[in-house]
Amino acid sequence: MTDAELFAKLQEVDARVVQLPNCRPLAVEVPVGFLLAFMGKLKSRPDLRFIQLLDHLAMDWPEKNEFELVYQLYSIEHDLLLAVHTRISRESPYALTMSRLWPIAQYQEREVFDLFGILYEGHPDLRRLFLEDDWVGFPLRKDYKDYFMLEMPE
Amino acid sequence: MTGQSSYVLTSMDRIMNWARANSLWPLAFGTSCCAIEMMMSSMASRHDLSRFGAEVVRPTPRQADLLILAGTIVKRMAKPLRVLYEQMPEPRYVIATGACTISGGPFTYNSYTTVRGADEIIPVDVFVPGCPPRPEALIYGIMTLQKMIKTGEAYGQPYQRRRPITAALPPGMTQAQLQKEIAEFLEAHATIDVDKAAHNNRWEKERY
Ligand code: SF4
Repeated sequence: MTDAELFAKLQEVDARVVQLPNCRPLAVEVPVGFLLAFMGKLKSRPDLRFIQLLDHLAMDWPEKNEFELVYQLYSIEHDLLLAVHTRISRESPYALTMSRLWPIAQYQEREVFDLFGILYEGHPDLRRLFLEDDWVGFPLRKDYKDYFMLEMPE
Repeated sequence: MTGQSSYVLTSMDRIMNWARANSLWPLAFGTSCCAIEMMMSSMASRHDLSRFGAEVVRPTPRQADLLILAGTIVKRMAKPLRVLYEQMPEPRYVIATGACTISGGPFTYNSYTTVRGADEIIPVDVFVPGCPPRPEALIYGIMTLQKMIKTGEAYGQPYQRRRPITAALPPGMTQAQLQKEIAEFLEAHATIDVDKAAHNNRWEKERY
C-alpha cells in the first residue's frame, strides 16, 4: 500500500486527519480530542489492523507553548508503518491513556510522564519509570533546571 | 633499611612492575558508545590487544586489575562504579576513554545525569581523548599505562596518585608514526614474530 492509499483510508476513518509534510513513513496529525476513537479504529479495522504500538514519545515546543505526542504504529498483517502526532497545551498537559488498546503503552507512558510530566488520564499506575521517586521536575522539558546542571556560558 | 636490602627491594619492584605491566587483565566496563570501540581494540582481530598482554577481559572485578572506563557515567552508575573499583584487588589501574569520562564531553552542559569526569568518582591513571577514541588511541593509552607501571609511576605508594596523564597523540605526530612506534614496541617487547604474524599489512609495506 502506498502512502497516498494509506492516507485515503485514514481519511475514511476520520476526516480530520492532516498529513505532515516530508515524512516517511507516513505521519498524520489528529486533534487530541478525537485521538482515542481514531486509534481504536486503526487497531480494529480489518484493512488496517495496527496491532502494535512500537513507540510513544513526546516533544517540547516552548515557543509554541505545546507538547507534541507521537505514537509509532505498526501493522503486522499488512506491513504498514504510521506515526500519529497530536498536540496538547503546555499549561495543562493532559492526554488520554492508550493502555487499554495497547497494554505496552503503560510503560511507554510512564517513561514520557517521567521525563516530560504528561499526565495520562485513565492510566492504572502512573509512576516514574527511570528516575528516583522523589525527583523534582521533569528533566526533558526545555525549561528544566536543577542544582547539578551546568549552564552553558554565553 | 640498609642500602643492599633496599636495592634488592627496588630491583624486585622493577621486576614486579615489569610483570604487572605485561599481564594487565581489563574489566569489561562499557556503558555506552565508547565500549564498541573498546571491543574493537580488545577482541577484534585487526587491533588485537593480546599482543600487549592485556587481552583477558574479565567480567568480574575480583579477577581484573585494569578498569577501562568506556562510556558515559551517569549519577546512578557512579555508585556501582565505585563499588566495582573497590572490589578490584590492588594494584589496580584505571584508563578512562572518551570525552565523556574525561569531562562529561557532549553532556557537560545542560545534562541532569552525566557525571562530569570519571576522576570525580575514582582515581584515573590515563585519559584517552576522543569521541570515541580510535582503537589505536586506546592501545596507545594502554602502552602509556604500561610505561607508567614500568617506571613505577602507577604503582609506587598504593594510596598516592599522580595527576592523570592524557594519552593524546603529541602535536606533530601522525598516525603512521604511531603505527611505527607500535611496531617497534612489538619488536622490542613481544615474543611473536611481527613480520610473519602481520604478513602483508601496511606497516610492512612502509618499512620495506
Ligand atoms: S565520548 Fe563520545 S563515543 Fe564515548 S561514550 Fe561519550 S559520547 Fe559516546
